[in-house]
Amino acid sequence: MKNGFFGKFFGKTKESSRDIAKKRLQFALIYDKLEVSDEILEALQKDIVDVISKYFEIDKNSLKLDIKRQDDLSALELNTPILSAKRKSK
Amino acid sequence: MSTQKRGADLKGKVIVITSGKGGVGKTTTTASLGAAIASLGKTVAVVDMDIGLRNLDVVMGLENRIVYNVVDLALGRCQVKQAAIRDRRIKGLYLIPASQSDNKNSLNTDDMARVTKKLKQEFDYILIDCPAGIEQGFENSVTGADEAVVVCTPEVSAVRDADRIIGLLYARSITPKLIVNRIVPQMVINGDMLSHKDVEDVLSIELIGLVEMDDRVIAATNTGSYITNDKTSKAGQAYTRIAQRMLGDKTIPIKEPDYDQKGIWSKIGSKLGLKK
Repeated sequence: MKNGFFGKFFGKTKESSRDIAKKRLQFALIYDKLEVSDEILEALQKDIVDVISKYFEIDKNSLKLDIKRQDDLSALELNTPILSAKRKSK
Repeated sequence: MSTQKRGADLKGKVIVITSGKGGVGKTTTTASLGAAIASLGKTVAVVDMDIGLRNLDVVMGLENRIVYNVVDLALGRCQVKQAAIRDRRIKGLYLIPASQSDNKNSLNTDDMARVTKKLKQEFDYILIDCPAGIEQGFENSVTGADEAVVVCTPEVSAVRDADRIIGLLYARSITPKLIVNRIVPQMVINGDMLSHKDVEDVLSIELIGLVEMDDRVIAATNTGSYITNDKTSKAGQAYTRIAQRMLGDKTIPIKEPDYDQKGIWSKIGSKLGLKK
């Protein structure tokens, strides 16, 4: 009522706690699902190294895998120096 | 409970009532649905899996009649007939109480698989009252479950936990259905509470029922009686409709709370075209 009737008069529309709750939940659930255990991260790193090693000569020890989070997106970040490309073997 | 041997003929359906978070009305929901389904002519066993913190017995008013419990049954210390307490008020309704002296790790999933198998031979419906949490008690409760009902209140903490539980149920190939409990329509109108639609949007699972906040649920629990026997109670009516849908009657609509009971100013406002 406040937001509808009086809100029109005073020109302010304050977000209801209901709307805030819904938005917070939607974000919280996304973040909850993005939580990755170290175990999974390690396994993923190993698989990625295996794939890259098929095409490039890389320094396996300096490879770094990370999950970066910003306001509303998260990214898988992988840094590795490439020593040389592997020659295609027919 | 039928006395005749049914052999390996498993007639029953096991439904676990779960939520993740405690205090959202799982036990009341289990008792009410058990009473409603039995009143519709089916045989029902409600099983309290909150071992060490049993409460379904007091909610149902059967606390003075406990001899054996679910741990006794699981470990073979008694028969189904001995563990199941017959409710004298509603034909076909039985309670298998939790043990109060053991803890949640007293049973494992193999024990529970045996219990549900035995119960399926004797009853049409087996409702499992799952404890809060995601530990062994949850694992035991979902073992052998054919279906699941997730109870959730319109609060951020309950919804978040429900989402976690839904994920765990999907991982076990169980597709849960949702009951939104303790809705206060006036608070939803005022913008101070999530509506059932909000909860449904966030969790995106099929809805099976909506239960409004109802003081008479507390009064019924005080006396150990069933809210479904209070024909004028909104919550009681809601549980009876959920029971009918659980028995497969698709013609029973989900009754939505009245979110349109506007205040006088709001009505005048909409008459004047001021409301959006």
